[in-house]
Amino acid sequence: MRFSQKSRRTGLFLALVSALTWTLASWALDVPPLTGRVVDLAHVLPAEIAASLTRDLDAHETKTSNQVVVLVLPSLDGDPLEEFSHRVASTWKLGRKGTDNGVLLLISLKDRKVRIEVGYGLEGTLTDLRSAHIIRNEIVPRFRTGDLPGGITAGTQAILGTIEGTYKADEVLPGHGRSSQEPTAFEYVIIGVIVGTLAGILLSHGLRHTRALLGSVLAFLVAQFASVGLGLAAAGVTALLLWLLLQANRGGGRRGGWGDGFTTGPGGGLGGSFGDGGGFSGGGGSFGGGGASGGW
Amino acid sequence: MSSRMSVFTTVATTILFVGLSGCGYNDLQGLDEDTKAAWSEVVNQYQRRADLIPNLVATVKGYAAHEKDTLESVVQARAQATGIQVTPETLKDPAAFEKFQQAQAGLSSALGRLIAIAENYPNLKADQNFRDLQSQLEGTENRIAVARKRYIEKVAEYNKSVRFFPTNLTAKYILHMEEKPNFTVADEKAVAKPPEVKF
Repeated sequence: MRFSQKSRRTGLFLALVSALTWTLASWALDVPPLTGRVVDLAHVLPAEIAASLTRDLDAHETKTSNQVVVLVLPSLDGDPLEEFSHRVASTWKLGRKGTDNGVLLLISLKDRKVRIEVGYGLEGTLTDLRSAHIIRNEIVPRFRTGDLPGGITAGTQAILGTIEGTYKADEVLPGHGRSSQEPTAFEYVIIGVIVGTLAGILLSHGLRHTRALLGSVLAFLVAQFASVGLGLAAAGVTALLLWLLLQANRGGGRRGGWGDGFTTGPGGGLGGSFGDGGGFSGGGGSFGGGGASGGW
Repeated sequence: MSSRMSVFTTVATTILFVGLSGCGYNDLQGLDEDTKAAWSEVVNQYQRRADLIPNLVATVKGYAAHEKDTLESVVQARAQATGIQVTPETLKDPAAFEKFQQAQAGLSSALGRLIAIAENYPNLKADQNFRDLQSQLEGTENRIAVARKRYIEKVAEYNKSVRFFPTNLTAKYILHMEEKPNFTVADEKAVAKPPEVKF
C-alpha cells in the first residue's frame, strides 16, 4: 500500500490546481538558471577570479559534499531580498537531500544588498550570527571600497572556512536520507514487478484479444497509480517477459522460472540527482530561511 | 476453473488497489501529519524569537533606560505570546488559532517599535552585542516568514483534500477531519517584511 501515499501527486485534478496556484503566485523576478557554481549575471568578476572561485567551490564539494554557490545579480527588480534569495536557493536545491548542506551567497548590485542563505543542515555551524559577521567584516568593508571581486572572494572563503568539517563527502550516499514519504525508485520497481506479474498472469491465461487488452489496461491503470514512469516501464517489461516465458513454457513444457521477473528491476541509480556527469546541479537540499542579510 | 479464478482475483486485487488509493485515506493522514510538522516549525521559530527578547531588552535598557513604555510593552507582549500554548490538536479551533496569531502579531509590532527607537541612540546602534542580537532577530523573523509560508502551503493542500471529491467523503465520514484555519493574508503581509536594518 506504499504507493497509495504517493498517489496524491497523481491526482490529476490536484496537480492541475497546484499548477494553477503556482502560475498565479509567479513573481516579478525569475530564478536564473543554475549555470555553474559562480553565476555572475552582473559581470563584475574577472574571468580568472570566477574560475578560481569555481575551482575552490568544486574542491570543497568534493571534499565535504557542501554545495556553495555565488550569484551576482544586476538588480532585484523590487523583489524583497530574503524572499528572492530563499526562492533561488530552494529552486536550485543546493546541498544534498537529507543533509541540506547548501549555501547561497547572493549579491545584488543596484540594491547594494548582500545575503547569505543557509540550508537547514548548516544552520548550526553557519549561524545567522556567523553569516552576519561574514557580511559585516569580510564582504561589506571591501564592497564599500568598490572591491567587489575581493569582497566576494573573501566572503566565499569565510563561508567555506566556517562550514569545513561539518560533513564528509562519503558520509551520505546519494539516495539515502530521502524523506520517508516518497517511495524510492526500488519500491516503484517492486510495485511495477507485482503489477507486471499480475498482468502477465492475466495475459498468459487467455490470449484472446479482449483479455490481452484488459491486461494491458489494468497494468497501465495501476502503473498510473504507482505514478512513475519507472513503475510503468517495469510493469511493461515484466509483463512482456512473463508472457514470453509462459508462452515458452507452454510450448516446451518446462515449469518454473517465476523469479526471473525480478531481474528486470534495475534497483537504484535513478533516485539521486547528484550524478556528476559534467553538468552542475543542486542535490535536493532545502532551506528554512537561515542566514543573514546586509547592505553596503 | 483455476484460470477463471485467477483472472477474478487479479481484477479484484486491482480494484482494491485503485479503490484504496482513490479514497485518499492514507493521503489525508499524510497531509494531516504534514500540517502538524509544518506547524511545529512555526511554533519553534516563534519560540526562538521569544528566547532572544530578554537579552535584547536588557541591552537596550543599558543605553535607553528611560524608554520605559516601549521596553515594558515588549516584555508584556512577549509574556502574552509565550503564555499561549497551541498544540497541533488545538489547531482545529479557529478561535484559539486567531488568539495565537494576534499575540504574535502584537509581539512583532512591539519589537518593531523597540528597533525603531534604537535609531535614536547612536551608541546603542554601534554596540556589538546589540548588532548581534539584531542580526539574530532578523534571521529569526525571516525563518518565521518561511515557516509560515510552508504552513500556509501545507494547510492549503490539506484543505483541498478535505473538500475535494471523493476524498472529502473519506475525510468527513471515516476520518472526521475538518478544514484547518490558516494565516490570514493581511497578517502575512505584515510578517513577511522583516524589520529593516541598516549597517
